[in-house]
Amino acid sequence: MEIKYGLISVDSHAAFDRDSFTSRMPVQKWGDRIPQVVEVEKDGRRVNRWAVYGKPRGDNVGNCPALMGDPFPTYPQRWEEIPRTAYVPRERLKALDTDGVDAEVLFPNPPGGAYFEFGDKEFEQDVVKAYNDSLADWAQTSDRYLPLAILPYLSDPQIIKREIERAKVAGHRGVNVLGQMPKALPHLTDPYWDPIWGACQELGLPIHFHGSANLRAGASVRKWSGYSPRQAHSAMTATSAVTPAQIIPQLIFSGVTERFPRLKCVFAEAGIGGVNYALAACDHEWECRHLWTEGITTRPSETVRRQMYVNFWFEVEGIKLRHLIGIDNIMWESDFPHVASFYPRSWDSVERVLEGVPSDDRRKVLYENALRVYQIEATVPAKNN
Amino acid sequence: MQINYGLISVDDHVQEPPSLWTDRLSKSRWGDRIPHLERTAEGCERWVVDGQVLVDGHSGRTGALMADRNREPNRWDEVPPPAYLPSERLKTMDAAGMDYSVLYPTVAGLAGEAFGRLEDPELELACVQAYNDWLIEEWSSASERFIPQCIVPIWPAEATVAEIQRAVAKGHRGVVFPSLPMNLRAVPHVSGPEYDPVWAICEELNVPVCLHAGASPELQYTPYSGLAPALTEALDAVTKPVSTVFVISLFTFSRVLLRHPRLRVILAESALSWGMLYMEWADHQFEHDGLASEGYELKPSEMFHRQCCFTSWFDEVAPFVQHVGAEHILWSTNFPLTTSTWPRTQETIHQCFRGVSAETREKVLWKNAARLYQL
Repeated sequence: MEIKYGLISVDSHAAFDRDSFTSRMPVQKWGDRIPQVVEVEKDGRRVNRWAVYGKPRGDNVGNCPALMGDPFPTYPQRWEEIPRTAYVPRERLKALDTDGVDAEVLFPNPPGGAYFEFGDKEFEQDVVKAYNDSLADWAQTSDRYLPLAILPYLSDPQIIKREIERAKVAGHRGVNVLGQMPKALPHLTDPYWDPIWGACQELGLPIHFHGSANLRAGASVRKWSGYSPRQAHSAMTATSAVTPAQIIPQLIFSGVTERFPRLKCVFAEAGIGGVNYALAACDHEWECRHLWTEGITTRPSETVRRQMYVNFWFEVEGIKLRHLIGIDNIMWESDFPHVASFYPRSWDSVERVLEGVPSDDRRKVLYENALRVYQIEATVPAKNN
Repeated sequence: MQINYGLISVDDHVQEPPSLWTDRLSKSRWGDRIPHLERTAEGCERWVVDGQVLVDGHSGRTGALMADRNREPNRWDEVPPPAYLPSERLKTMDAAGMDYSVLYPTVAGLAGEAFGRLEDPELELACVQAYNDWLIEEWSSASERFIPQCIVPIWPAEATVAEIQRAVAKGHRGVVFPSLPMNLRAVPHVSGPEYDPVWAICEELNVPVCLHAGASPELQYTPYSGLAPALTEALDAVTKPVSTVFVISLFTFSRVLLRHPRLRVILAESALSWGMLYMEWADHQFEHDGLASEGYELKPSEMFHRQCCFTSWFDEVAPFVQHVGAEHILWSTNFPLTTSTWPRTQETIHQCFRGVSAETREKVLWKNAARLYQL
């Protein structure tokens, strides 16, 4: 890959074409349980939704407000409203050029990345394969796409491990993981999942926790009926600030990072500040409780710097404190084409956030760290060096 | 007010003694529903109220005073005297270099939440009033260096208001309010106008509302059940402060702070280092979601800077002080919990305040607290 612009987004969302799953899953076996776009009635209007396992989901058929224009944010209600830029890999490359972005790491978009909720192990395996194959095709179209695989949680960890190995061969660059496992399954840090962390470590695939990471903490706060939709969105979204502060301590104090010291963990759409807290708080408790006597031999802040990575997009103040976690652990993200994205003016926001930051640090957070974390082979023209 | 050491700790916990409620509640009316220590088959003593086990089945929370910090007392005779005797506590405060100590409960919940889980509002009120009376009689009367704060019945609002009035008249200086009452039992959402009388009386009486982290454990990530107790407790300690994010988000975006501009909110045991991101993110989201057109006259950070304070005990202050504001950070020792800086209180302060001006240091360590509690 050529670094033309000097900017890699380590958190963007690939949309699926409407036949992404129907063309990859046997209809005689799964029928209308295959994820597909269906027509339903809403407020007297015929609208489209993605249906999974025969059940329509969500309030839209696509999540791409950055491409929808005014009024912002608009979410497509009918399939034909979705710009092809969202789901046709070749079309989307033009959008990347418009925005001055070299490459993007691909997280899910509707119909989403979670298929365990139906309790159907075999279905989950097949749909996860279809998902991973579909995104792998993006990587075949262009090496500017860096897809993340999803996992069939209901399956035996050895089967999940094989899916990870398959995804790596197909071109995936990492794995997207739930921040908290479904209640019926073992805890995220139960050694039950060790084969997965082992596979990711050996294959050099970073694991990713995205946004609120489906943590039950946020869901336990009942939504207040007095909010408008936009107020509810603000009130909920800003609480993702502490997602890393809830997950990082679990990974460290349960010994996952002791057992897998080369496993890389990326916190997407969570902001730098939550990691600053995890550094300080874990060190404090480690010291006052003598946790080295409990098998946690490495000082937590060292573990964080060794294994944890965090993304930023708007944090002026967070960037000022970039040396707390370390300049090698921070990467830029755009969240394209979601509501948080600054597309097509990502560079305006980059310049605003990085004002006064020396060029060595700039290069690291804008693309060099991403090249290293995702093991990307790239040529960098002299002007970007 | 007399400042000798230069520290007002705004978050410490008293240990309620076994006789507190049994001495003050009518045995004939309440029987064994009264909070009391109960002996288990294994010979442990644990607190029970109305059949509910409190304090995770321990006799107290005093890790910082135990020979092994990762243990809690499981019999009353294991509870160290500085936890429950005011005279002994004063000696510890001198040793820690602490002038004043703002008091929170233990058995009644570290965030004053325990009695809010009772389904019987009359029993709830009786338990709350006994605690509030006892704290004045036993601690405030022992020394003015103890700053008492009342706990409250969570609902109905008239009962909350009446108890705040009664307690403040008796000498209480702050109101410990379990931040999400609707997570304790079936009462209205804390964001709603139903609670306006509560915030209004705090404004009128000029007492801060203290939202202590940990009022609702479900806001914290539950650790893996196969861990050693010390690791489970460490995870509880780390995930508790940041659960405050859900509370400050509600108070901000639901406009409680806008409706009550003179309400002062202390986010106890919040810690500091995540707060800066929250404030920046809330402002960013406010702008990105276009909330200025939805009837907010202040941005989230402006609401915070008008009315709120974070409370820390282990964070480095220098990186965060400029954005959060020196007036909006308070210091504590968290005595006698395991997470407390005791007995390294001064050493920790020395580390945490590296690179901080003398003026800021004084504000954070005692001047802000003196102003809030009108000492």
